[in-house]
Amino acid sequence: MPVIFINGEAVDTGEHRTVLQAALANGFYVPHFCWHPELSVVGNCRVCLVEQEGRGVNIACNMPVVDGMRIETDSETVRAQRKAMLQFILLNHPVDCGICDKAGECALQDYHYAYNGEPALSREPKQKGTKFYPLSSRILLDNERCILCSRCVRFTREVSKSNVLGIEYRGDSALVRPAEDRTLDDDPYSDNVIDICPVGALLSRSFLHQARVWYLEPTPSVCPRCARGCNVQLWHRKPEWRLKGLDPAQNTRILRVTPLENPRVNGPWICNRGRDLGEVLERPRAEQALQKGAGVTMMEAIEATRALMAESTRSIALVSSWASNEELRAFRNALGDNFTSFVKPDRLPEEGEVVEDELLIRADKNPNTRGAQALFGSDPPEIPEDADLILVWGEGVDFGRLPRGAKTVFLGSWLLPEVGHADVFIPLSIQTERRGHYTNFEGVVSAFESCQPRPEGVIDAETLFPLLAAPGAWGRG
Amino acid sequence: MVIDRRRKYWNEPKLGWWESFYLFEVLRGLSITGGVFLRNMKRWMTGKKGALTAYYPEEIRADYARHNRGKHVLTQRPDGRPQCIACNLCATICPAKVIEIEAGFDPEDPAHPKYPERFEIDYARCIFCGFCVEVCPEDAIRMVPTVPGLPVPDRRGGMWLGREELLTWQPARDPAKPYPPKPVSGNGGGGDD
Repeated sequence: MPVIFINGEAVDTGEHRTVLQAALANGFYVPHFCWHPELSVVGNCRVCLVEQEGRGVNIACNMPVVDGMRIETDSETVRAQRKAMLQFILLNHPVDCGICDKAGECALQDYHYAYNGEPALSREPKQKGTKFYPLSSRILLDNERCILCSRCVRFTREVSKSNVLGIEYRGDSALVRPAEDRTLDDDPYSDNVIDICPVGALLSRSFLHQARVWYLEPTPSVCPRCARGCNVQLWHRKPEWRLKGLDPAQNTRILRVTPLENPRVNGPWICNRGRDLGEVLERPRAEQALQKGAGVTMMEAIEATRALMAESTRSIALVSSWASNEELRAFRNALGDNFTSFVKPDRLPEEGEVVEDELLIRADKNPNTRGAQALFGSDPPEIPEDADLILVWGEGVDFGRLPRGAKTVFLGSWLLPEVGHADVFIPLSIQTERRGHYTNFEGVVSAFESCQPRPEGVIDAETLFPLLAAPGAWGRG
Repeated sequence: MVIDRRRKYWNEPKLGWWESFYLFEVLRGLSITGGVFLRNMKRWMTGKKGALTAYYPEEIRADYARHNRGKHVLTQRPDGRPQCIACNLCATICPAKVIEIEAGFDPEDPAHPKYPERFEIDYARCIFCGFCVEVCPEDAIRMVPTVPGLPVPDRRGGMWLGREELLTWQPARDPAKPYPPKPVSGNGGGGDD
């Protein structure tokens, strides 16, 4: 293993090939715009300057590690050249941080304060660019803010392989543009370019001007939209920045979804479907326990279910593949003996959706099929005609196809037509209101945390199942 | 023996010889009260200020100090739209967290694509520190001496003033800075970083 000296300290570079990687891995920060761990090295931003003893200043991202080399990351020369480089990058940048959604997590803003901090030396008028170029139905491009690091271009070439983006024209007229015959709408991973953009040039339309980023905090979670179970961060308002005068619904809304890096599951990427988690999780909720469509209290609904269970002779349970491992185990421990259980898919691929690809997206659109099948077997649901009680947990079951004579108990979270058709309906909490774990299709277990308050009248499945099985319920039958 | 437990002060009052007659002191007090009464009566009859109680909030005093921080106003562009760019710096610096801004997006105006759709200040919690005015990069929010006509506690549990009321400030001439601001020509030139 080559040993190099960074700022006088001996550093074992391990498997790292370049000075920048070795420095970052060992706690020496070197600023960088165009370099990204998952993308190829282009070395066009030139702020990752370091000084090699005897060789002068050069870019660290493209400097191969040589045994015994001596590197200074913060020498006088490096600082001066880095500052000049930032002056150059900011030459045509509008510095409109006040209205930029990236402000607060912007690399250019941070580096400007850390390494430059001076007003522009140039007196030339700034070059004007296109302000809001519609790259796709999801992304706007602000060419004035773009620093042409080409991260987005390399992402579409190397990771998503859609080859949509390119840079046209040269010099200060250079623009990031989609290829003539392509659009970024075709790329199911396009929103990742918003995250990897080191400045605020690529803007998410759905998050545009929703909140300044310092009002938000992330909660680690797992994307439930396919069996990959990508680790994500759900961004919502911090409690101390709760809105009181404006719409209070904004306080608990998921304002944006970003990937949470996990090399064993999704790396640093997620697909666009994962960014739109709100369209699944924030559907209208069912918050009232019902008995044949009429409102009852939670205790009455539980009592009614227990009565149905006591009367039945052949009970079938269709277990949700959206349930967490904890809930599935609670179900098996409390009710496993009373039901013949099958795992059912809660959601199937929708029209127009990418069903499966080589990068992340899986054909199974449920997060915990593997976890559920580990407990309840992988046989497809098979409902005998003489079944007299069917417990449906989660969506995705057509009640019209269930045997006519059977009583139905429906455990669900969202307002669906089945809610009123079931003999008993009990509203359950959703993923963002409780903690838990999902097992993805490869067997990797990921945890999610709660970030939204549980609505009144809704119960956690983990609490519900022991109540359904409470002793005494069976004595009367 | 009775022990006097009262604390002794360095300036314990002592009854002087003249005060021990009382009558003269009573007359002196009456003359002070009468003097104030007659002075206010004269001010009232000649229409001078300082004589009357202002019945807030129906009446608003005219004699606030020039730099009194009474209430906020939003300044306007020459075309009447708010100068505010909804950058939320005032809301961020506000120690009482009383400013809430809902931003809108206007792609038609590339110079000012972000504007406040709603701009709300809760006067029930505002401490009138003026930080919002100091932090504003656009001179979009200022404080004027007059106090707001008392907003009533509303459904939101505060005394909120919204964008419409804050935008009513339209002085013909602003002593501190030219107002309304001159229209900015198309090429903004090099801003400072």
